[in-house]
Amino acid sequence: MITAYKCKSCGQIMYPYHYRCINCGGREFESFVPSTKAKLLTYTVIEQLPWGFDERGRVLGVVEFSNKVRAMGLIDIDADTEEINIGMKLTATWEPVRDTYGEKIYGLVFRPA
Amino acid sequence: MKPVVMAGAGMIPFERRDDDTLIDMLAEAGLRAMDDAGLGDQPVDAVYVGNMASGLFNHQVSVASALVDKLSLYPAAAERIENGPASGGSAIKHGYQAIASGMADVVLVVGGEKMREVIGPRATDVVACMAQPEAEYIYGVSLPALAGMFARLYMKAYGITPEHLAQVAIKNHANGLLNPYAHIRARVTLEGILTHPDSKVGNPIVADPLRLYDCCPVSDGAAAVLLTTPEIAKKLSAKPAITVAGIGQATDTHALHERADPTDLKAVTIAAQKAFEMAGCKPADVDVAELHDAFTILEIAESEHAGFFKKGEGAKALAAGETQIGGKLPINPSGGLKARGHPVGATGVAQAVELVWQLRGEAGERQVKNAQTGFSLNFGGFGNNVVALVLRREK
Ligand SMILES: [Zn+2]
Repeated sequence: MITAYKCKSCGQIMYPYHYRCINCGGREFESFVPSTKAKLLTYTVIEQLPWGFDERGRVLGVVEFSNKVRAMGLIDIDADTEEINIGMKLTATWEPVRDTYGEKIYGLVFRPA
Repeated sequence: MKPVVMAGAGMIPFERRDDDTLIDMLAEAGLRAMDDAGLGDQPVDAVYVGNMASGLFNHQVSVASALVDKLSLYPAAAERIENGPASGGSAIKHGYQAIASGMADVVLVVGGEKMREVIGPRATDVVACMAQPEAEYIYGVSLPALAGMFARLYMKAYGITPEHLAQVAIKNHANGLLNPYAHIRARVTLEGILTHPDSKVGNPIVADPLRLYDCCPVSDGAAAVLLTTPEIAKKLSAKPAITVAGIGQATDTHALHERADPTDLKAVTIAAQKAFEMAGCKPADVDVAELHDAFTILEIAESEHAGFFKKGEGAKALAAGETQIGGKLPINPSGGLKARGHPVGATGVAQAVELVWQLRGEAGERQVKNAQTGFSLNFGGFGNNVVALVLRREK
């Protein structure tokens, strides 16, 4: 699972890691793991993917977890047959999201809650 | 700082150029700018090349040194400037600084990219490399995908419809038909790309809600400007001097999701404000604008963030024809990235070349009448490094 960061000076929540707080420049953070509950903020269905993906209709989205961390991830939904809409509740898991030269790369995967 | 003028401008047609190397394209564009300025045998002090990814696209680096060699401009100083799709705008900024500081008198700025050396999905991947590696790139995000996620939010927030997006494409392709340097020269209709039942075949989804005709083509090309002092420019040629009146640049978070409001293109707003402040003018003074319409939604959003229209009014102005040639503020008379094409490192320089032609009254069929002040916006990353430029024809 990803690690998120909360600034000890101003409370700003960040993901991914920054050496200085994006709000106040502070350098001390409390690290934590997002919850598994999230809601969808925006998404796209990609029909023309970059090199390395032999598929169409891959859904990516930006979510906000219940503890306010925001992140992008793979939305495991078939956009042709299943409902997808902004605000929908999702459950997060940590799974392979791509293969790079035979190595599985792990990332955030979301499914309808 | 010393005043700086664009004494020369030139470019080669953007298209698929299988017979030219990147260096050939840069050299050809560079010569055109030098000849346009009437430079003759006078020395060039420095060369800046705006280029994003020659290492990945063409397996060649140190391309500024290679260009100096091809043009025999030794011992000119030479550097490649990389700022993603805003590499061209950044190269102009560095050229400006070299002359304004007094370190150089004559600077050649060339932007170029040869993207069609690799197949489509490879080019999409090279461009996607600019996304945040661990939080965006690994998921297979492309630039159209980032634009699609942005478009979904922006359209909802400001009542923008697929018709509005199509109108950007229709306008810019109509302008591109008047531009012999444009990559895509075809008339596009609302029926052909949106309303006819068969339009979905020719205009398929790339990254929902964006379709093929919402995205710029993948192009090869190069463009160049020659920067110098007003005194030297006057000696070189009788052409009207075009002053670099303002340059502004601003950055924002790398990951789209870390922006407090992902529909707010802060770097565009700040870069434009800085450029206007330096030029001592305001958006209402601009007669012609070249915006970074890599995606149709961006032309609308940038026209608002740069201060030409209030948020939510950009699409209305577009629909009312205000941004056509002959309208109140013509946007992208060149055809923009949509029709001229977007060889990434070339774009910021090509925007300046179009403005120079417009301000001199040399833009032919697509000439904006009596244009005196021009504005361009070069959008790097997905809005995380933006360069704005104000050019002015002195009275
Ligand atoms: Zn902080």
